[in-house]
Amino acid sequence: MMNLSRSVALISLFLLPLLSFSFSIDNPTDRRVLVLLDDLSLKSSHSIFFNSLKSRGFDLDFKLAEDSKLALQRYGQYLYDGLIIFAPSTERLGGSLDSKSIADFVDSGRDLILSADTSASDLIRGIATECGVDFDEDSSAMVIDHSSFSVSDVDGDHTLIAADDLVKSDVILGKTKIEAPVLFRGVAHSLNPTNNLVLKVLSASPSAYSANPSSKLSSPPQLTGSAISLVSVMQARNNARVVISGSLQLFSDRLLRSGVQKAGSPNQYEKSGNEQFVTELSKWVFHERGHLKAGSLVHHRVGETDEPAIYRIKDDLEFSVEIYEWSGKSWEPYVANDVQVQFYMMSPYVLKTLSTDKKGLFHTSFKVPDVYGVFQFKVEYEKLGYTTLSLSKQIPVRPYRHNEYERFIPTAYPYYGACFTTMAGFFVFSFVYLYHK
Amino acid sequence: MMAGGGVRFLVLLLVVAICGAASVIQPISDSHRSAALDVFVPVDGSYKSLEEAYEALKSLEILGIDKKSDLSSATCENVVKVLGSSSSTLKDAFYALKVNGILKCKTGDAVPKDIVSQLQVGVKDAKSLLDFYYAVRGLVLVKEQFSGIDLSLGDAEAIFRSIKALSQSDGRWRYSSNNPESSTFAAGLAFDALAGVISLAPSEIDQSLIQTLKTGILKLFDSIEKYDDGTFYFDEKSVNAHESQGPISTTASVIRGLTSFSASESTGLNIPGDKIVGLAKFFLGVGVPGDAKDFFNQIDALASLEDNRFSVPLILSLSSTVISLSKKEPLKVKVSTVFGSKAPALSVKLAQALKSGSKDSSVINNQELKFDADSATYFLDSFPKNFDVGKYTLVFEILLDDSTHEKVYITEAQTKVPIAATGVISIENAEIAVLDSDVGSVESQKKLDLTKDGAVSLSANHLQKIRLSFQLTTPLGHVFKPHQAFFKLKHESQVEHIFLVKTSGKKSELVLDFLGLVEKLYYLSGKYEIQLTIGDASMENSLLSNIGHIELDLPERPEKAPRPPLQPTEPYSRYGPKAEISHIFRVPEKLPAKQLSLVFLGLIALPFVGFLIGLMRLGVNIKSFPSSAGSAISALLFHGGIGAVLLLYVLFWLKLDLFTTLKALSLLGVFLLFVGHRTLSQLASASNKLKSA
Repeated sequence: MMNLSRSVALISLFLLPLLSFSFSIDNPTDRRVLVLLDDLSLKSSHSIFFNSLKSRGFDLDFKLAEDSKLALQRYGQYLYDGLIIFAPSTERLGGSLDSKSIADFVDSGRDLILSADTSASDLIRGIATECGVDFDEDSSAMVIDHSSFSVSDVDGDHTLIAADDLVKSDVILGKTKIEAPVLFRGVAHSLNPTNNLVLKVLSASPSAYSANPSSKLSSPPQLTGSAISLVSVMQARNNARVVISGSLQLFSDRLLRSGVQKAGSPNQYEKSGNEQFVTELSKWVFHERGHLKAGSLVHHRVGETDEPAIYRIKDDLEFSVEIYEWSGKSWEPYVANDVQVQFYMMSPYVLKTLSTDKKGLFHTSFKVPDVYGVFQFKVEYEKLGYTTLSLSKQIPVRPYRHNEYERFIPTAYPYYGACFTTMAGFFVFSFVYLYHK
Repeated sequence: MMAGGGVRFLVLLLVVAICGAASVIQPISDSHRSAALDVFVPVDGSYKSLEEAYEALKSLEILGIDKKSDLSSATCENVVKVLGSSSSTLKDAFYALKVNGILKCKTGDAVPKDIVSQLQVGVKDAKSLLDFYYAVRGLVLVKEQFSGIDLSLGDAEAIFRSIKALSQSDGRWRYSSNNPESSTFAAGLAFDALAGVISLAPSEIDQSLIQTLKTGILKLFDSIEKYDDGTFYFDEKSVNAHESQGPISTTASVIRGLTSFSASESTGLNIPGDKIVGLAKFFLGVGVPGDAKDFFNQIDALASLEDNRFSVPLILSLSSTVISLSKKEPLKVKVSTVFGSKAPALSVKLAQALKSGSKDSSVINNQELKFDADSATYFLDSFPKNFDVGKYTLVFEILLDDSTHEKVYITEAQTKVPIAATGVISIENAEIAVLDSDVGSVESQKKLDLTKDGAVSLSANHLQKIRLSFQLTTPLGHVFKPHQAFFKLKHESQVEHIFLVKTSGKKSELVLDFLGLVEKLYYLSGKYEIQLTIGDASMENSLLSNIGHIELDLPERPEKAPRPPLQPTEPYSRYGPKAEISHIFRVPEKLPAKQLSLVFLGLIALPFVGFLIGLMRLGVNIKSFPSSAGSAISALLFHGGIGAVLLLYVLFWLKLDLFTTLKALSLLGVFLLFVGHRTLSQLASASNKLKSA
C-alpha cells in the first residue's frame, strides 16, 4: 500500500510539468477535456463528434456523470481545460462535483459544452441558469415547428426541427457558410435579457413554439417564435466560453449523418449541417479560433523612437499595438478595421480607429489634447465571438513650461520698440546731459 | 449503485428509443455500409491488434464490402507471425485463426503444429472460462481451416463438465472457479466453448449433460430485459465487474453462443420466438453505432440471427410513417430479414388501425395488403372513406404462406406501428372584427385571407374588444382542432403577447376584451402587429400569417403598474466600433495683423527720431567731455557700462533667463557704481573749478 502511494506520488511528480503545460497564455487551445456522460453508450452514438475532437488533438477523458471518483481539480490545480456535459438526465454529479464547482471551473477561464435534452434535470438547468440561459420550465416540452420541420421526421409530430437561423459570425461558425439546415430535437431555452454576454447561435423560426407535442395546450406556451434559442453561447468576461444546446441529439451520429430536407423547401441535402455546425462550434468553444493576443502598447513622439515619460500638451504622438489571433496551431496576424484606441482621462478625449498593416500591427497618430493630467492609452476591443482585449497604459500630460510659450509675438512689436527706443534715448541723453556745454 | 444503474438504464432506454427512430425498425441498409467504412478505419493500412482486425474484417465481410485486398498484406504478415510462433498467447492465436478464416493467409495442409499443440495444452490446463473459450474455439477454427490433422480432445466429457462447473443456477456463468461474480457475457462465451467441445468430441456427449445445459439456457432467458415495444436484450447485472460490457456486447455474446451451440447440436433449442424477434429489434434499434466494437457486435449478432438453426426473425418495416392523404400516397410495408434480404412468400394483414386519443373502434379491420413483386412491398393503395387525418396505431399481422417455413422463420404475433396521416385542412370564414364592449355592436369587420400576408389596419381603445374567428375542417369535413393556434400581438417595443385561439363547436374563436388586458399589455399604447399561427402535425398547410396591425389607445400607465419586461438586445448592435472622438483644442486669441504692429512700431520709433532731431536743433554738443586721459577712460568705461546694461536687457529679451541676467547685472552694477562715481566726481570737480575760476 505504501509502495503504491509512493509510486503514485512519483508519477504525479513526473506529470506535473506536463499538466501545467497545457492551457497557457501562449497556447490557448484546450487540451484535456473531461466528458461527462450519463451512459457510456453515448460514446458510441456520438462518436463522430468525439472523433473529430480527438483528431484535432484533444485528450478526451470519458467518465460517467455519477462516477464517485470525479474531480475537476487536485491540489488546487485543475486537471482539465474543458468540460463536456452530455448527461441531461443526471440529477447529481458524482465525486465532489456540483453546479457550483462547474461555475468555478468556468470562472477560472475554462470552457464548457453543456447539452440538455427533453426532461433535463434540475442540475443541468441550474448550470444553464448560471450561464444566463433559462430552459423551458415544463419538463415535457419540446420545440415544435409546423413550418420548418425536417421531412425525415419519422414521428410525424414535427419535433425534428430543420433550423437555419444561424448567427452571422465567421469566428463562431467558421468562414464556410453552413448551407444545409441544422437538425434539432430537444428543449427550448431563452436568454436572460439582463445578461449581455450570452447570445443565440441557432434560433428557432417565427412559427416555432415550445410545448408538449402529445397533449393539448391549455395555456399559451412560455416560449414562442424566434425568441426561442436552440443553441446559445456565452463568453464570460474572463474569456471562458460556454456552449449550451437544448438537444443532445444535435451532436449524435444519427443526425450528423442524416440527410435533410426542410418541409416546403425544394432543397434536399445529402447531409445535414450538424457536423459542420458542431465541429465549428467546438473549435470556437475550445479556443481554436477567435482568441486574440495583444503585444504591449507602444507610443512615442513623432520623429522619435523612445517612449517618453511624460507628454506635453499638443505634442504629436504615434501609437501602435500588435494583435495576433490564435489559429489553433500558431499566432497569425489579426486583420480588422475596427480596433480603436482611446486617450482617456475620466472620459475619452481622443477615440481613434487604428489602421493596420495586415501583419498584425495597428497604428495611428494624433495630437495630445490641450488638457493636462494623467491620461491612459486604452484599447478595449470587443467583437462578436472574439475574446475581449482590454489594455491600458498610463501616461501623464503636462502644460507648457514658462519658457515654452511663444516669445516674439508680432503684436507686441510696438511695446518692444517703445522699450528699446527709450533705452537708446536714455543712452544718447546720458551723453548730452553730462557733456553738453 | 443500484440507483445509478437504474438511471443509466433509463437513459439507455431513452437513447435506444430515440436512435431507433421511435419504434420504427428498419433493416440494415446502405447507411450501415457507408458508416462501416468510417468506423473501421485502419491506421497505416493495418489494425492495432488482431482482435480489431478480425472485428473489422468480419463486419465488412458480413456487410458485403470488399476491402480484403487493401488490408490483407500487413494483417496476414501478422497472422503468419502469430501462428508460427510457439509463444503466442491463446487469445492472439484465437484471433489470428479467426482472421485467417477470412483472409485465408494460410490454408490447406500447412498446419501450424505449434499452435495446435499449444491449444491442446491450453484446453487441458485451462483454469478460467476465457482460457477454455480461446483454446476450444481455436481448435474448432483449426479444424475448419486446415485438413489432415488429428485434433483429439482427450476426454471431451471431462472438459465439458469442467466448463459446466462454472455455470450458476440462474443461467449465468462465472469466469473462473475462484471468482464468485457471475456474468451474462460469460454465459455466451461458455455456450460457444461448449458448442466447440461438442463438435470436437470424438464420440457423442452424454445427452443428459446437454439437456441440463439447455435448461440452463432457458433459465438465462428468464433474466432477459424488456422494453415496452417488444424489444428484448441482455445486460450485466453487476456493473462493477466488467464496465466495458454494455448491453450490446452482452447480448451479442449470448446470441453468438446460442447460434454456435444450436449449430453443433442436432435436437434444437426451443427459444420463444418473440424473444428472438425482440433481440433482433434491439440490435436494429441501436441504429448505427459509432464505436467499432459495438458496430461489430451489432452486425455479428444480427448475422448470427439471420443465419441460425432455430428461427430466423422477420422484420416488418414501413418506408414512411407519415402518410399524406392529399398526395394519395399508398401505405407501403416491407417484410424482410434483418439484413434486408427477401422473406419467403407471406401475406401481411392490416389487422387494426386505431386512432390515438379516441376510444372509437378500429377504422380498418383485417384488410389484407396487396403485394408488389417488383419492389417486394406490400401496399394498401386506398384508405377507407372514414380514414381522416390524425395519428393512428396500425397493427399488422404476418402470415407465412408455407407452413413449413414456420419452423424456420419467426415473426412477431402483431406489429404495432404508430403513423401520422396528414392532409390539407381548409380554412374558411376567417374574419377579424373590433366590437364595442358594452353593446357588442360591430364597429369594423374585415374578411381575411390567411394564405397571404394581409394589410389589415384596425384601431381600438381600451373599452373595445377584438374578435378573430375562423373555421378549420379536415378533408372529411370534420372540425379540426389544431395543436398550435396562436394569436400574437407584438408592440413596437418588441413586447409580445400570445393568446390561444380556442375551438368550440364548429368555429375557432378568440375574443379579447382590452379592458381586462390593459394591465397585461403594460398600458403600452401604439401600434401592435397581429400575427396568426395555425399549425398541427397532421396539417400540411400550417401557416404563419401577418394579418396586419392594430392601433391601440390605452390609458396612461399608473405609478404602481408593472413595467414591461426587458427585451434582449440584438447581439450585432452590442459590438462594433464606436464613433470616433477628436479633441477640440482651445482657439488661440485673435491677434492683429503683423503689418499693423509694424506700422505702430514705426509710430513708436517716431518720438526717438524727434528727440534726436530736437537735439540737433538745439545744437547739442559734448564739448565738456573730459580731455585728460584718466577721466576720459573712466567716462568711456561708465558709458560702456551703461551700454552693457542696456545690451544685457536686449539679451535678456532675446535668450537669457532672469537668473543669468541678474547675476550679470549685479556685476555690471558694482562696476558702474565704481566708474560712475569716479566720472561724476571728476565732472563735478571740473565744473567747480570752472565756477571758481
